Amino acid sequence: MKTHKLFENKSHTWLMFGRDDEKPNEIIDTNQYIVITHKNALLMDPGGIELFSSMLAAVIKQLPADKITHLFASHQDPDIISSLGLWDQALPSATLHSPWIWESFIRHFGMHNISYSAIPDEGSTLKIDQVSLDFIPAHYLHSSGNFNVYDAEAKILMSGDIGAALESVEAPLFVEDFDEHIAKMKMFHQRWMPSNEAKNYWVRRVRKLDIDMMCPQHGRIFKGDDVKRFLDWFEALEVGIISKAAADV
Amino acid sequence: MTELSNNYFVCVAEIAAKLDQATRIAQQLSLTASNARAVALRAGERAAGFRPLTDFIDRLAEITIKSSRSINLLAATLSQTSADKVRADSAIEHFNIVFIKAKDSQFIGSLDEVYLRCQTKQQQLEKSYKRQIDRLSDELIMLSNELRNAVILATLSRVEASQAGIEYQDALINVANNVEGAASKIKEHINYSQQMVSTLEEY
Ligand SMILES: [Fe+2]
Ligand SMILES: [Fe+2]
Repeated sequence: MKTHKLFENKSHTWLMFGRDDEKPNEIIDTNQYIVITHKNALLMDPGGIELFSSMLAAVIKQLPADKITHLFASHQDPDIISSLGLWDQALPSATLHSPWIWESFIRHFGMHNISYSAIPDEGSTLKIDQVSLDFIPAHYLHSSGNFNVYDAEAKILMSGDIGAALESVEAPLFVEDFDEHIAKMKMFHQRWMPSNEAKNYWVRRVRKLDIDMMCPQHGRIFKGDDVKRFLDWFEALEVGIISKAAADV
Repeated sequence: MTELSNNYFVCVAEIAAKLDQATRIAQQLSLTASNARAVALRAGERAAGFRPLTDFIDRLAEITIKSSRSINLLAATLSQTSADKVRADSAIEHFNIVFIKAKDSQFIGSLDEVYLRCQTKQQQLEKSYKRQIDRLSDELIMLSNELRNAVILATLSRVEASQAGIEYQDALINVANNVEGAASKIKEHINYSQQMVSTLEEY
């Protein structure tokens, strides 16, 4: 598991964990992110049960475990949060922030110590130490209850499955050639995202944010102008196409 | 470890299933008792000796049903303990890997408390697991002893049946056979469950 520093200022630091070369091949590679403030930390989309040990080992190299007081799960998928039962043992007094609609589902992963903080549909803001992080609604992209995390100070948008690309563990961390990158994202977005309407709402909303880096849960990070390129490309993309294709057979 | 864990889940589930079958047979036994009572009543004075026997059959059925129910409950608790134990074992295993992977990290000590807590929990679960298995084992022995009476009961029933007169003899002998058959079937399930328990004791 590699660790990469994305941002740092006086109040907080963003780290990315990923490109785990020890993970079994059949498991999709995931990016985990953490925001470390003075006394606390928020771990975002902590990942699947299969990479828990690698993740915790990577985290413990950066900060003491008990400094992680908050967890965030953008949605209910196993690659996002199936490790919860183990984090529940490791961080018994932490709080998990996740969409309200998934609470009774996510608890199936085993949650006896951690407390659940349900994010309402319209989103909310989490303040840890001096840092404000916004949970931006991204419903139906792809999950029917889904949020991004936006940090206005760092100008970082953690976009979950939006912007995801299927790549090998050797892939660079950042998008280098946007046009070339499209091939690795297109199928994922068309197949996993169900709603053009939801997608366009999101694009409109996110265009208003000041973003330097858009960080998806799979694949590469979009930087600078590539963020705008992504929004343009995504807006023009027709998603949810499988229902039509399957009906035409 | 995982394979063993899976096995003990299966063992516990099998015990519960066997006891469920035993309960159903005991319920039939209870039917047999009320049949016997009806026959003995019709046979009148000649089957007077048979009447107390029907009460015994009833009691045997009742004990089997009650005991099966409590064994079933024990099996369910045991299954929950096993699940918690698997979870605790798995957490310990994962932490062990972290201790190897991040052994040089300056923050590795921050896991000590968590690790200790998990270990304590694991030991507690181990203890309750053992205790629950002991109780299950005792309960099975008790039920098994109780069933020994069934053989005596069947023999006595046959003796009484022969005195009830030709008209009712067959029906009453049939009752005796039913009691014996039911008891031996229940006994089979108990034996199997006892084998399962001894497998569980090895973990
Ligand atoms: Fe997902
Ligand atoms: Fe994902």
